[in-house]
Amino acid sequence: MVYISSWDEFVERSVQLFRADPDSTRYVMKYRHCDGKLVLKVTDNRECLKFKTDQAQDAKKMEKLNNIFFTLMARGPEADVAEVTGKEQIDAQPTKKGRGRKQ
Amino acid sequence: MVLLQPDPFLNELTSMFERSTEKGSVWVTLKRSSLKSKVKRNKMTTAGEAIEYRCLIRATDGKKTISTSVGAKDHQRFQASYATILKAHMTALKKRERKDKKKSAEGDKKEGGVKKPKRV
Repeated sequence: MVYISSWDEFVERSVQLFRADPDSTRYVMKYRHCDGKLVLKVTDNRECLKFKTDQAQDAKKMEKLNNIFFTLMARGPEADVAEVTGKEQIDAQPTKKGRGRKQ
Repeated sequence: MVLLQPDPFLNELTSMFERSTEKGSVWVTLKRSSLKSKVKRNKMTTAGEAIEYRCLIRATDGKKTISTSVGAKDHQRFQASYATILKAHMTALKKRERKDKKKSAEGDKKEGGVKKPKRV
């Protein structure tokens, strides 16, 4: 399995994978301190998505993904994850402002 | 495999991270599970009972495996403590290079310099 290089793609596809088969999908994080490497893996034993990084900023993104998966797994695959990610809301606001100014 | 309560699990996870700084890795797996056997699940389904799912968390350093589970009510508290532990121990990752910060600052200036709205 090749690593996915885009973080957003990794998140989107792993959530899709989980929702398609919630009972057999697992999310694994592997951290190797001596090499400073972090590998994230989501698989349902048929398809496998992996993401590898050595950047501290990606650990912050991972925290959000952790929250998504905790929510999805503890509350069920239909749970709303928009509030945990919070990304869309922040992104949406500036564009709204911009539009208002032009008029 | 030892099934622990969330708090002892987090303590054990912390020491796993501390033990693996020189060599070795730590794996943490999240999985949705009912913590019941397939037979039991099938029985419950035929009896029309609702199956309660929880989030099962397993951690290993290759020598020892520990696990715990959190439900819909208590996962938020757990994930906050879990995030704190990760932040405290993932210190070998590289810091961000401040390359694109300059670029975005320039972009902001440009946007700010757009002509002022006319007063009528």
